[in-house]
Amino acid sequence: MDQTMRDKLSQLVEELTTSGEPQLNQDKMKEVKKMCKLSNDYIDHFYHLIMTQLNQEHAEIRLSAFQMLSEIFSRSHHFRGLLITHFQEFLELTVETDAEQPLPPPKEVARKLRTLAIQTVQSWHATYGEAYKKLSLGYHFLKQIKKVDFHDVEARTLAERKRQEEKQKRLERIYKERLDKAKQEMAEMTTGIEETLTEMNNCIKLLATDDLNLFNEEAEVANSSSGAEDRSDRPCGSKDLSNEQNGKMSEKRSDEGQADESSDESDTGDVPDVNVFLRSTGLMSYKYQLELDVCTDLQVRETEENEALVNTVRDLHRLVTTRHLPLVQSWVQVFTKVGVEEELMRRATGLKRSLELALSKHEDLHIDYKHRERRVMRAAEDGEDSEEDFVDVPEKEGYEPHVPEHLRAEYGLDETPSTSASEVKAQPARPVVKRPVPLVSASLSRLQRKRSDEEQDPTCAAATLRVLRQRLDPAPSTSVSGSAVSSSGQQGVSEEKASVEPPVVPFGLDLYYWGEEQPTAGKIIKHTSQHQFWVPHEVEEEVENKELSAEMKSRYITFAGKFKPVEHKCKAPMPDGSLCERQDRAKCPFHGRIIPRDELGRPVNPEDALRLEKEKWKRQEQQPDWRDPELMRDIEAATGEDLGSSRTYGKGKKGGKGKRRKYPNLTDLKQNANTSRARLEKKVFNKSSMRRVTEVMNKMDKRKHDKFANQFNYALN
Amino acid sequence: MLSFLNARQSGLDDPVRLRRAESTRRVLSLELNHNRDVARVHGNGINTLDIEVIDGRYMLSGGSDGVIVIYDLENNSKKLQYSCKTVCTVGRSSRHVHKFSVETVQWYPHDTGMFVSSSFDKTMKVWDTETLKPAEEFQFDGNVYCHHMSPVARKHSLIAVGTKDPKVQLCDLKSGSRIHILQGHRGEILSVRWSPRYEHILATASTDSRVRVWDVRRASGSLFTLDQHNGDKSKASSEAVNTAHNGRANGLCFTADGLHLLTTGTDDRMRLWNSATGENTLVNYGKVVNESRKGLKFTVSRDCSPEFVFVPCGTSVAVYGLHSGELITMLRGHYNNVDCCEFHPDYQELYSGGKDCNILAWVPVLRQPDIEDEETNSKRGGTQAAVNPAFEDAWSSDEG
Repeated sequence: MDQTMRDKLSQLVEELTTSGEPQLNQDKMKEVKKMCKLSNDYIDHFYHLIMTQLNQEHAEIRLSAFQMLSEIFSRSHHFRGLLITHFQEFLELTVETDAEQPLPPPKEVARKLRTLAIQTVQSWHATYGEAYKKLSLGYHFLKQIKKVDFHDVEARTLAERKRQEEKQKRLERIYKERLDKAKQEMAEMTTGIEETLTEMNNCIKLLATDDLNLFNEEAEVANSSSGAEDRSDRPCGSKDLSNEQNGKMSEKRSDEGQADESSDESDTGDVPDVNVFLRSTGLMSYKYQLELDVCTDLQVRETEENEALVNTVRDLHRLVTTRHLPLVQSWVQVFTKVGVEEELMRRATGLKRSLELALSKHEDLHIDYKHRERRVMRAAEDGEDSEEDFVDVPEKEGYEPHVPEHLRAEYGLDETPSTSASEVKAQPARPVVKRPVPLVSASLSRLQRKRSDEEQDPTCAAATLRVLRQRLDPAPSTSVSGSAVSSSGQQGVSEEKASVEPPVVPFGLDLYYWGEEQPTAGKIIKHTSQHQFWVPHEVEEEVENKELSAEMKSRYITFAGKFKPVEHKCKAPMPDGSLCERQDRAKCPFHGRIIPRDELGRPVNPEDALRLEKEKWKRQEQQPDWRDPELMRDIEAATGEDLGSSRTYGKGKKGGKGKRRKYPNLTDLKQNANTSRARLEKKVFNKSSMRRVTEVMNKMDKRKHDKFANQFNYALN
Repeated sequence: MLSFLNARQSGLDDPVRLRRAESTRRVLSLELNHNRDVARVHGNGINTLDIEVIDGRYMLSGGSDGVIVIYDLENNSKKLQYSCKTVCTVGRSSRHVHKFSVETVQWYPHDTGMFVSSSFDKTMKVWDTETLKPAEEFQFDGNVYCHHMSPVARKHSLIAVGTKDPKVQLCDLKSGSRIHILQGHRGEILSVRWSPRYEHILATASTDSRVRVWDVRRASGSLFTLDQHNGDKSKASSEAVNTAHNGRANGLCFTADGLHLLTTGTDDRMRLWNSATGENTLVNYGKVVNESRKGLKFTVSRDCSPEFVFVPCGTSVAVYGLHSGELITMLRGHYNNVDCCEFHPDYQELYSGGKDCNILAWVPVLRQPDIEDEETNSKRGGTQAAVNPAFEDAWSSDEG
């Protein structure tokens, strides 16, 4: 046996098995076959190589090895002999006959391998079973002991079936538990729910001044959803309208013409005694149309009389919606999933239906709850008469987008909502200074509308601006006032004068001594003791305090600057083609320093462009782990979409990632381990952080020890 | 072969010599082949096999499902191909079937009309072969691991029974009662064997890793305990004194002449002892994988010039030279652990049963037809041609 040939064979086998391809490379395989044909020694060597590859914990390697092996199996008797002698091992590695030795991941490939192996064993058995006893034994072993169904498309082995059964069993057990729980709950709760239902129904019945008996009827004919509406549509001639109903309903006689158009066919049955009817009723013709408006959506107002009722209904409604209905729904869900006896199911669904019916009835009532909360509150504090004086104000929560025009002043808003964010308003006390509107073009008006829309949105910068403005304006302007800025140039002199009104400042010591020179400024004078015979040892008469003296003469005026809204946008190009809309002052959190850009998002200044390019490179070099270029390339190949793996990531990943995988074509099994959990674990459980935590804990312990050292149970441990 | 025949004809050789040479050759050529099949009856692992010694025709097998089957091994069809049929079965439908796994079956050594089986259902049953009904039933307190009847006994008809109890029980077939116990072991008795040479000598192996040899006439205790270090105290730790193995001792087998005793243990060792003195012969068989929690049934060849041991070893049956300790071959064919094997002394065939429910027959390969007898050659040619295509290589021409 030639050593070089041998090495070449080993190399070929390794290459073929680690290719990760679903099919073998035919050229290489042909070469292998050529070598194996030369002599049995090569076959021996090949057999050993293949068996080592079959033992690898990677389904792709095994699959490729299996494919090679079956090629040679069909050709060489010597190889068949070798393989069949160790057929059991072979079956364990490919068909998963040993439940404790499952096929390695990736799963899909393992499944494919098993299916292929089972099919192949079957075909081998058909061809060679006669000649090789052990092969047929193995076939029978698979068939009878391992219960491999050779016709099963899935080709599931016993182990797999067992696993599935176990899973099924577990699920069943869980379902059964749930079912039992639901049953128990149902037994406990049903009476309660029914009580609630009757209570609610009765309340509703009492609440709705139910002269028409609409609701009752509805309850009886539960399936006819809107009996009342049906009735209202009936023509006038129908006799089953009772008199008392007629009397209560608003009766309208429609126009003659209209009635003509909609002449009624349903009354044709009455034709024989037309005259009798006409005469007895005193109507001139049949061609009347009677329209009855029965207002089905009642408006129940809460009054003193029905307060108790409304309260109960409200409570019941809440109980039903929050508790009973979800509970019943969960029962129904459990029952449908498990498949329970019909009786139970029917009861549950019946309950659900009646609950829903009650809810819908409640909806129909349209009970006006509005004042309730206030009333309840008041009822609680009824003892204090002074409360009565308060005017009821409709409740509001936080931000109100619309403020009625007549309330604006009260709210501290300017009369008209500002349309441009840049416009700075003068104080409300002064006459409103309106900037002359420059050329309201269509686009500008749209812009303004957009702005005002933005202002309504509390999450938008414009809204904040408005709030700020509101806050700023009423405050006395201590500085030279922004109005000067706003009125720069365009405003008349008078207005300018008005704007240079003297500033109002709080009164202070400096104003008190304004223009005077004070000798004692900042001096603390301690008077000599007035005591007659006791004199302190030494007294410093005057202490000069620099701070105090400064305060006497000077004044702090906080200059906060003037709020200047941001007018530029980041405008960095986004992946979806639009430009970044953020309006940060100096730096966008996503795109960094804000630089002047043209309308396409390209930086205007060349040095900016250069800097950006450099940063981009740097970022690409430190690609996050999950964007493994190889993985990306795989995904790209699979989906046909460009995810950007073709970009070269850095000039060779330096350092830790530098080690290349040995067989780049195989699916990386460790890749699966890279889950969010694993990454977190890496962070949380890494050595230094653990050490830090233990240090802190030790310190805490120690402190306790120091503190309670004299107590025996701390002293001991 | 011819020279042997010649020598035999001319009376140069002892008649035994030819026989030994031939049977040795046959044993060495044992292999799994298509000529012999054993019907697949057991639906569960096979624990025990026994071939009767009178005709060498019937084989008993006991399975983990409690089923006992009797096979007819003799090939009367005058064809090479033969599948051993079942004669009768004590199946699950039978009223008398063992409830749990049958651990040992044994023919009555002097007649095929009776056999004995013991099981994990704590009983030992003596069966009438004709009616397949138990003639006698012994109840025990614990699982019965093994039993054995002396193959040479004339003066007694005792069955030694090893159970979960550390005492070895002796049951008398004559009276149908348990007449005696042998005390000395401290663990479950996994294997018992009567000596084929002296009818009162009994060897027992236990989980306390000791193997004791008894004379059942002596009431006071065992004759001796086998010691792996031959009494050399320095080699043994204090608790390992007088132990045959470092793990459980779970297999026993006398050689055909009864001069030697083989034991196996879960320390993956097999040891050969002088059965008269209890001396370890220190034959090194290497590692004999043995993970059985129960007794292990292995066997030795008979009438071969170097004798052979057949011992289950994982999923295969290992063949060792008895005195050389050399591993001769591994018989691979089972797909799960092998539990028992039985040697057929007349035809030099080996039967093995394992957890994969198969009983495999290992049959000697026929000698290649000599060139002289063309008649047989031409006759064989047909069969050979039928088989051959599968054995041929099938390299396609473009790969040359």
